[in-house]
Amino acid sequence: MAGDTFGGRMGLIFATIGAAIGTGNIWRFPRMVGANGGGSFLVPWLIFLFVWSVPLVIAEFAIGKRARTGTVGAFRIFAGKRFAWMGLWTAWISTAIGFYYGVVTGWCLKYFSAAASGGLAQGVDTTLVWNEFLQNPSQVILFQFLAVAITMAAIWKGAKAIEKVNVILMISLFILLFSALFLSILMDAQDGTLDGFVYMFSIQPEYLLQPQTWISGLSQSAWSCSAGMGMAITYAVYMRKDEDTTLNAATMCLANNSISIIAGLTVMMAIFSVVQDPLSAVSGGSSAITFLVLPEVFAQAPGGPGVQLAMVAMFFLALSFAALTSMISTVELCVRNFVDHGVDRSVAVGFTGAALCVFGLPSAALWILMDDSTGVAFPQFLEVQDHIWGYGLMFSGLFIAFSIWKYGWNRYQVWQDENDIEGFHWQDYLDHGVSSFRDDFINTGDNDWWIGKWWDYIMYLGFPIMFTVLMGSYFIDLLLNVDSPWDPTNPKGITIVLLFWGITATIFIFMNRWLVDRPLYRNVPEGAEVPIDTLPGGDDDMILTLGEVWTGGDLDAPRSESSVLNAELA
Amino acid sequence: MSAMRRVFVHFVLIMFLFMPFASVLGAVEAQDEPAENNDPLDIWSTDYVDDYYPWGGDDAAQFKEYHTYFTMKDRMQHLAQNNRNIMTFHEGLNGGENARGQITTANTYEGWFYNHRSPWVKITVNPQGGECNDFVGDCGNYAERPDVLLVGNHHAREWMSYEVPMMFLEMVAHYYGKAGVDNDGDGLIDEDPYGDADGDGIIDDDGDCLSLNASYQDSNGDGTPCGPGDQGVDEDISEQWITDLVNTREIYLVPMLNVDGNRYDREVYCGENAWETCPTSGWRKNLRDNTFDDLGPLPDMFEEVDEDCDGVDLNRNYQYEWGVPLGATMPVVPGTCSPQGGLDGTNNDVYTGPHDTNDDDGDGLLNEDHVDGVDDDQDGLVDEDWLGGNSEPETKFIQDLTEMNDDNGDGGSEFKLVFNWHSFSNLILYPWGHCTDCQTPDHEFIVYHGDEMAVMTNYENIQSSDLYPTTGDFCDWHYGVYNSYCYTMEIGGSDDGFHPHPDKIDHIATLNMGPTFYMVEVADDPAFRAVFGLGMDEIQWMQSPVNITIPEEGDIPVELCLHPNFPLSNDVNRSHVMYRQVTPTRMQNDYGPTEWKEIQPWAMTGFEETTIRCELLDGSNGTTVIANIPVPETSVGEIHYRAMLGTTNGAFPINYPALGEEPGDYYVMSLPYRAGFGSSLLALFMFVIVAGVVWGGLAFTLREMFSGDDEEEENNQTEIVEQEMTKSRSADNFSSMTVAQLRAELSERGLPTSGTKVVLIDRLKGA
Repeated sequence: MAGDTFGGRMGLIFATIGAAIGTGNIWRFPRMVGANGGGSFLVPWLIFLFVWSVPLVIAEFAIGKRARTGTVGAFRIFAGKRFAWMGLWTAWISTAIGFYYGVVTGWCLKYFSAAASGGLAQGVDTTLVWNEFLQNPSQVILFQFLAVAITMAAIWKGAKAIEKVNVILMISLFILLFSALFLSILMDAQDGTLDGFVYMFSIQPEYLLQPQTWISGLSQSAWSCSAGMGMAITYAVYMRKDEDTTLNAATMCLANNSISIIAGLTVMMAIFSVVQDPLSAVSGGSSAITFLVLPEVFAQAPGGPGVQLAMVAMFFLALSFAALTSMISTVELCVRNFVDHGVDRSVAVGFTGAALCVFGLPSAALWILMDDSTGVAFPQFLEVQDHIWGYGLMFSGLFIAFSIWKYGWNRYQVWQDENDIEGFHWQDYLDHGVSSFRDDFINTGDNDWWIGKWWDYIMYLGFPIMFTVLMGSYFIDLLLNVDSPWDPTNPKGITIVLLFWGITATIFIFMNRWLVDRPLYRNVPEGAEVPIDTLPGGDDDMILTLGEVWTGGDLDAPRSESSVLNAELA
Repeated sequence: MSAMRRVFVHFVLIMFLFMPFASVLGAVEAQDEPAENNDPLDIWSTDYVDDYYPWGGDDAAQFKEYHTYFTMKDRMQHLAQNNRNIMTFHEGLNGGENARGQITTANTYEGWFYNHRSPWVKITVNPQGGECNDFVGDCGNYAERPDVLLVGNHHAREWMSYEVPMMFLEMVAHYYGKAGVDNDGDGLIDEDPYGDADGDGIIDDDGDCLSLNASYQDSNGDGTPCGPGDQGVDEDISEQWITDLVNTREIYLVPMLNVDGNRYDREVYCGENAWETCPTSGWRKNLRDNTFDDLGPLPDMFEEVDEDCDGVDLNRNYQYEWGVPLGATMPVVPGTCSPQGGLDGTNNDVYTGPHDTNDDDGDGLLNEDHVDGVDDDQDGLVDEDWLGGNSEPETKFIQDLTEMNDDNGDGGSEFKLVFNWHSFSNLILYPWGHCTDCQTPDHEFIVYHGDEMAVMTNYENIQSSDLYPTTGDFCDWHYGVYNSYCYTMEIGGSDDGFHPHPDKIDHIATLNMGPTFYMVEVADDPAFRAVFGLGMDEIQWMQSPVNITIPEEGDIPVELCLHPNFPLSNDVNRSHVMYRQVTPTRMQNDYGPTEWKEIQPWAMTGFEETTIRCELLDGSNGTTVIANIPVPETSVGEIHYRAMLGTTNGAFPINYPALGEEPGDYYVMSLPYRAGFGSSLLALFMFVIVAGVVWGGLAFTLREMFSGDDEEEENNQTEIVEQEMTKSRSADNFSSMTVAQLRAELSERGLPTSGTKVVLIDRLKGA
């Protein structure tokens, strides 16, 4: 059985872009622009694209391409046996997000169907539509299941199918968004000014001086590209040998931001053309703007009911596509890890799909509350899930950086042993440790671009600083703006987040030994064989290439400490 | 028997519960029942029917005969002794330097003739605590407790005017700290408070008097069946209410201000049986010796009392508009007492007291600015050199008590409400007294409280000057100088006269308890109480967010429509709009409701008065006041706002929106971004940069990715360079070279892209 790969460059590009582009581009980005001073926000957003997202995705691609496994295997190989749980964490965060993201994708599908059937025409009370929908669990669950089903169908057959679905959905998304943008420009230009455009690209200097703007830019950049999520590791598994990791990373992130700009312009111009108080509308809670304001706004597009219906339907179809492609990558990330450990793909897909349906149920139907001040319903369980797992994503990024640091340190020590050097010397560490990941995995011969030392600086210095700032600002914000943040029963507090993280991490660390006691099957396509024995976890005889058979013994029999040791020595 | 009665009462009460059914089932039976209750003893206790008061004591304490000054003082001291937790006994004031810089001593407040100081009681819980006042001689001054001053017997012969305060004192002493007392013995508790408590127009709230046989319904014989003062009317009030009032007020009770005059009236002028000897006459004034005067023509050192001339009408001796207005009652010739200025021997019962002969402000001018709240001589000082008034020990006592009992030190009076008893005419009088066809600024409110008391007494509530114009009276001074609401009760009818028969003391005093307690209750903020009582707060409104027009720039004006008579305080701490600004947090959860963050905490802004008319909620005309909320044009989010209106002497604010009307008790106005969005040119420039980087970058990477043709060309070139380099040295050389060195050499040889170099370096080093 040969390794599974994408059919071509286009396939990989579209798959990764599809994963990166999600609802965050379409409903989160415009809100961030609105809340952070328009053009002022674009400055940090653009800077962090190159300082955070691209370098991290490069690392992910490099790891995935060399490891040829999902996240668990990648950490097992790159950070060593003791750290396979980090891969589990990465996979879990993505899957936990997937549990409620399926529900959200369902919302988008529902809104598309409502729009297409004329249910969001001009004059419709969108708040009523939203409340009735959300408070009707059977509807929400129906569309959630639909979203999961579509996702399952797309990934059932593996890389080739994922590729095809992504290509179709992404191209449709571009067309839909461009059409919507065109209509938005018409709307905004009706009063003779393009004030939505002007606001979005005007720099208000005072915002640039506020740390909040920069933190918002960083967080948007961190989430929007799915950097650190493990998604790029997963898709890199299907890369052909001669694929360029750097170029792919840059393409994926730039494409993501390109779509953000288009979606942002579409939303901003439409809202500015119709809403009396556009800034408040844009900067409010974001499911509000997407599902309450935008249908109203687009339903006032010029050209009569036909165009208006098309506009609303187009927008929500684009949103659904964006959500679905992200959903696909989320599920694939999980499925890949099962397949790596010898589970049959269709079993893994079925199992994951069932889990998504079941564990998404509480997000779909539990704690549907009413915001008293606005009379808008909201799903509190889902909100809490997002609150807990959203920032867990940052740790996934940190773990990736950690495996890079660890690799560098190992390499430095190996070099010292080879050259009989004792003690620690900065210059040696910089030459033979810090730069080794870059030399060994990024600047391989397949790359069109040579990545310089700047990448090392970002990974070793920039990343920890940005991580600390982001985490710090999040917790400080919780401390300052949440009542009784330490109360563990407060779903918006700090304690509940730390509790869930702590429990999850503890369980995973305990599961680590069990995890590394099973064979890991790498998906190595033909012609892409690369040695991994220099890697911290590379000399494990239980790491096999897909198609090989584990002959080391009975898997179900508990293995003693000594046999583990033997295996490591072997 | 009484147990039987009680059982029956309960039975009736239970039947009462079934009234709605009874009316359907058997109306005939229900009609028959009241006939059973025709005798007072069927309902009430014997003590109640017999007007026997639970505090016991002698006949005077039981209000069956009049107190003399001495028995009254003994009783006051006795009660104060036995109720040390709520009252202290005092006489006059200690003295010291008073508010106008005069040095006084305790003697200053002694009557001219018998040398008594007016006895008084301070009533408040823990009267030994709080602040002590050396000048006044009391303790128990608490800034948070409103003060109220109740004064009886300005006029010597008006005996009921000290009996009424004495009954108040007895009630407070007896009922304080008790709760759930069945005052009338009918088995019910607190069922009939003062006045028309349930607002049905009938003051017998529990209907027990009305259930009596008609012959028992007018127990006080005033001709009104089941009217105020009759048995069964307002007979069972809440003791807890009395306790609460004592706990939250400082009550200054002066039952007999004019001790000199009262003793003279009882001991000399009329005698003990004054109701026979002086039914409609008697001694009115104090006992100032008007002929004993340095300037007077007839110094008679040895006289006792010259009834034709001596004495000052204490209720004409206050300084506000003293001696000025209509029907001048001051002596034309100083030192004489006759209104005509002659020595014709006629007594002037309303003598105001002598002209002031001091240069009170020491500016060399005499009496150039009398007390009227106006700067008559335009020297920047108000009322600083008066014509007269305040010449008597008794009025000095009232004036210094008012001015020196300044708990909060603001120079004003602590008494937001003062009250004094007189007789007779069955009237309630309110200021002004010194002018006709005039009204006080607080007219509507002052009338309101008078009307409330009229309901409790059937007395007529009229403006003082509508009875007859006066000068220098108690109420004009308190209201005119200190804005204290003030009422004068004219107790008793014309058949009662100045000295009602002792049989009537208890009835008249009982009738007057309602107003007395009412005055104590509303003394915390009479204006606010009236505003509320009149429902004025309910017809006033503040602009709700939908009615506010947000200007393009500058402050956001919020209008309030006020009743033209609303006594709006200009003090920004009392009357203001509170506002704060919230904005959505920048870190919003993607799926939850909007989360808000306060960016401008609650702040206050005052009101601007305007002449703009507005329509109150009842359709009548109101006046607009405007508060300007300062908001930067660049702000977005929400403004939360609410108004608090303080009355001029207010203890309580009135809130808009009304409490409980809106969540959080404030209005929420969404705030649009009002500043410009920026320059189109700069935006276009920025767009070009951003789009250039993002879209241009994307185009570039895609081109790189799919430039297959270039690759072949590059490969050819790479081969050439490789051959050149391998020709020049051996493979070992390459492996010892660093990557950087190799890169530099390759660049020299003109290889175009970094990617190719890397491939080549790998190959060279690997070779």
